[in-house]
Amino acid sequence: MSGLQGNPISQYGLLRTTSPRTIPERPTGSPATRPSGLGYQMGGCGISGCISTQGRGISGESISRMLTTMSERENGLGAGYACYGLFPNRRDEFCLQLILDNEESKCAVEEFLKEHADVTKDEKVFTRKVRTLSPPYPLVWRYFVKPAEKREWRGNSNLSEEDYVVKLVMHINREVEGAFCVSSGKDMAVFKGNGYSYEISEFYDINRYSGQLWISHSRFPTNSPGWWGGAHPIGILDWAVCHNGEITSYGVNKKLVEMAGYVCTLQTDTEVIAYTWDLLVRKHQLPIPAAAFAMAPWHHSEIPRMDPNSGLLAKALRLTYKEAFLNGPFSIIVGRREPEITMIALADRKKLRPLIVGTSSDRDLVFAASEECAIRAIDTQADTWTTNAGSPMIAQVGKGVVRQGVEPPFSGVVR
Amino acid sequence: MSDVALSNGTNKGYRLPERFRPIVDDTSCKRCRRCVTECSYRAIDCVGDHIVATDGCVACGRCAAFCPTGSIEIETIPNQFPPHANFTERIRRGIMSQASTGGVLLSSCGTDVEHPVIFDELLLDAAQVTNPSIDPLREEIETITFLGRRSGKLTVSEKDSFSFISEIGPVIAMDMPLMIGHISLGSVSYNVQKALFTAAKELNIVAGSGEGGLHPDFYVYADHINSEIASGRFGVTSGYLNKVAAVEIKIGQGAKPGHGGHLPGEKVTDLISHTRMIPIGTDALSPYPHHDIYSIEDLQQLVSGLKEATEYRVPIGVKIAATHNVAAVSSGIVRAGADFLTIDGFRGGTGSSPRIIRDHAGMPIEVAVAVVDRRLTEEGLRNRVALCAGGSIRSSADMIKCIALGADVVMTCTAVLIAIGCHVCQQCHRGLCSWGIATQKPELTSRVDPGLAAMRVKNLLSAWNEELKEVLGAMGIDSVESLVGNRDRLRHFGANPRIAEIMGVKHVGEGWG
Ligand code: SF4
Ligand code: SF4
Repeated sequence: MSGLQGNPISQYGLLRTTSPRTIPERPTGSPATRPSGLGYQMGGCGISGCISTQGRGISGESISRMLTTMSERENGLGAGYACYGLFPNRRDEFCLQLILDNEESKCAVEEFLKEHADVTKDEKVFTRKVRTLSPPYPLVWRYFVKPAEKREWRGNSNLSEEDYVVKLVMHINREVEGAFCVSSGKDMAVFKGNGYSYEISEFYDINRYSGQLWISHSRFPTNSPGWWGGAHPIGILDWAVCHNGEITSYGVNKKLVEMAGYVCTLQTDTEVIAYTWDLLVRKHQLPIPAAAFAMAPWHHSEIPRMDPNSGLLAKALRLTYKEAFLNGPFSIIVGRREPEITMIALADRKKLRPLIVGTSSDRDLVFAASEECAIRAIDTQADTWTTNAGSPMIAQVGKGVVRQGVEPPFSGVVR
Repeated sequence: MSDVALSNGTNKGYRLPERFRPIVDDTSCKRCRRCVTECSYRAIDCVGDHIVATDGCVACGRCAAFCPTGSIEIETIPNQFPPHANFTERIRRGIMSQASTGGVLLSSCGTDVEHPVIFDELLLDAAQVTNPSIDPLREEIETITFLGRRSGKLTVSEKDSFSFISEIGPVIAMDMPLMIGHISLGSVSYNVQKALFTAAKELNIVAGSGEGGLHPDFYVYADHINSEIASGRFGVTSGYLNKVAAVEIKIGQGAKPGHGGHLPGEKVTDLISHTRMIPIGTDALSPYPHHDIYSIEDLQQLVSGLKEATEYRVPIGVKIAATHNVAAVSSGIVRAGADFLTIDGFRGGTGSSPRIIRDHAGMPIEVAVAVVDRRLTEEGLRNRVALCAGGSIRSSADMIKCIALGADVVMTCTAVLIAIGCHVCQQCHRGLCSWGIATQKPELTSRVDPGLAAMRVKNLLSAWNEELKEVLGAMGIDSVESLVGNRDRLRHFGANPRIAEIMGVKHVGEGWG
């Protein structure tokens, strides 16, 4: 101890810093390439979303303000935004937005798309240098496509347009080196990358866009592959999911979506959640509250509190979709384009992760966020409330808040 | 191990050395002769004023358990054979027995050969920091488990109100992911079966009837009985099939894949003869295959026939032994319409089985359940059936690992018999069970008090279920269905990484994903 004599341990050689950048150094790599050996990704997060139920445009600046306010919830290792109502002139075409390592991977994608789809237009997505964001930056490109006339995939013909697009995306993400498709829906796109929320916002110049629905996400991961594809929102078709949580049933949920033909390439529970929404709502045609119940169900012991028909539906959902039950802590904000632009906010059945929702005083805007400060950052007058555990808040363009997230799971079930 | 008792004079000098010997402390022994009455193998006797060991002790421990002064210890007799690592004592005893009798060696219980136990090489996961563990003392952790068919898809619509057209079941709900396996009346006594059924009813789970029909006294437990249809069809009537909770076609049993049931004639008493509908004293030897099932289409017909006979009211399952092509066979069985599928691993118990089959055929349940779960998932069938698995589930740890490897329901037999008193002496086939379990002799069967035995089985299985909740809580899971096939929560910590690879389990040190 002699070397420390007279020197309080708290000051010995330690520098104090208020910079958030003390840890960790962002690893550099190829932004679009999934790092080999990438394991399961987890961590805490901030999420926020905002929809104009009257279908007015919301500026990117608003959502960016909501997200960046929650600075405690991120550590510079991933953030992203999804915007809906983005391409009013091309709303019937699928927009594949890709992050690419280089020109070579871009050529490979184009060659593949040429054979399998009709590309009606392609364009570079605006990006710019951000002083604090260290290169390499990916090339970001979008393709508007219509599925090929003959939608056949490895002998499986007569796929629906959507299923065919899912196959295209799965193929690109798995087989095309240096390319990653981050979104594939109509009239929407995802902007994401490896950095703080304000850096990603600046990188894509989010302020230049305006849409009827935005959802966004910032990460505090416990591991840090320098990979832009792994950031949220995670999208498939017109679905985009921002997720704060860690699903303890991942292995089970993964089986369900794999049985339905989805290929999990991201190794995150968020990817599985996105596929589960697509499977339950688009493919199995479940109403959103029923799908939400399958993912965050009531306990069996609570079901007798429902009226008999609702109880029957509840039991049937639990039994049939037990692999869709997302166990463990989560709060999610989900965006969807079809049949109308929709925002869903849902927390797990124990509500182990925060979620707050609200509306503007004119009832046009509906908000959802991890923390109230995100909502107050853009609307000090908003009416806010918290949803019940496992109960979805649903807001739709043209319809307003169709479900507040405090109602019982179903009402008026008839058989 | 079954060492055939040798009485044949021509085998003089080839007598098998004794394996066990009761040692009586002559100073504390008070000569009450209780041990002499308790020993059904006549391995202890009173000579003059001393209690002495005679021959044939099987180490069942009955005498020691009932000696009022604690004066008896059972000794394993060492050094009967000169040491040899290859020609082990076990091998030499087998050779000597067969040379004397010229017969097939019989034994009972699960195999005692030292195959590696994969369960012991698996470690469980727990939640830390990024997800919270759940406290089972303060929050509800669900263990309700369904046995039966699932449709994989519901049709629900929402216009002004919700409406749904559902095709659910037939399915039964149990309070635990556990069932008592098939232990037939005949292999065990009336009192034991009564205890098992009582426990199953009170725990709200099911117990297997085993082969050989259902005694009319047990019809009151029918709604908690999984009735077995085996190749012998002994005692099967539509009368009770219409009362039970589930029906299971037994193709095979883990301890003797490819074999039929075998009940020695000594155990076929009046009671058994009535239930099985066979003459007293005849060996009840079930055919090896079902003679109406020579292919998967035939199985499909029997499944359909049973569904018709039970008016689609109860789930119809199929049980097979875990053999090398288990994954493909399982997929065929699900396609043939089974509502649940039971896989029985090679370590599973038996009341009587040729040792050659018991010790050398089949595969471990750990691997079988994992490959079946994976195959059914790959073929998009896993969410149509309930998968049950058993074959030496010794503890809640085995049960939990088995669930994480893919089983919806775990089946146990030997453990519940141990709860009743069984000491696993492997003599069941001789019908002399000193604990009154695997016997039909009235003076022995009366040793089991059905009420007490039922309580002990209930205690054991509720304790396992509590331990399951503890583990689920620690993993941050609040419902057992979220563990089924969730191999991510297991790691392999053993010598053979190839086994882990086949099971789809990562090695310790590897993270999630
Ligand atoms: S009761 Fe069992 S342990 Fe005791 S002498 Fe008889 S066989 Fe051996
Ligand atoms: S049931 Fe009886 S005979 Fe069979 S192993 Fe157990 S104690 Fe021995």
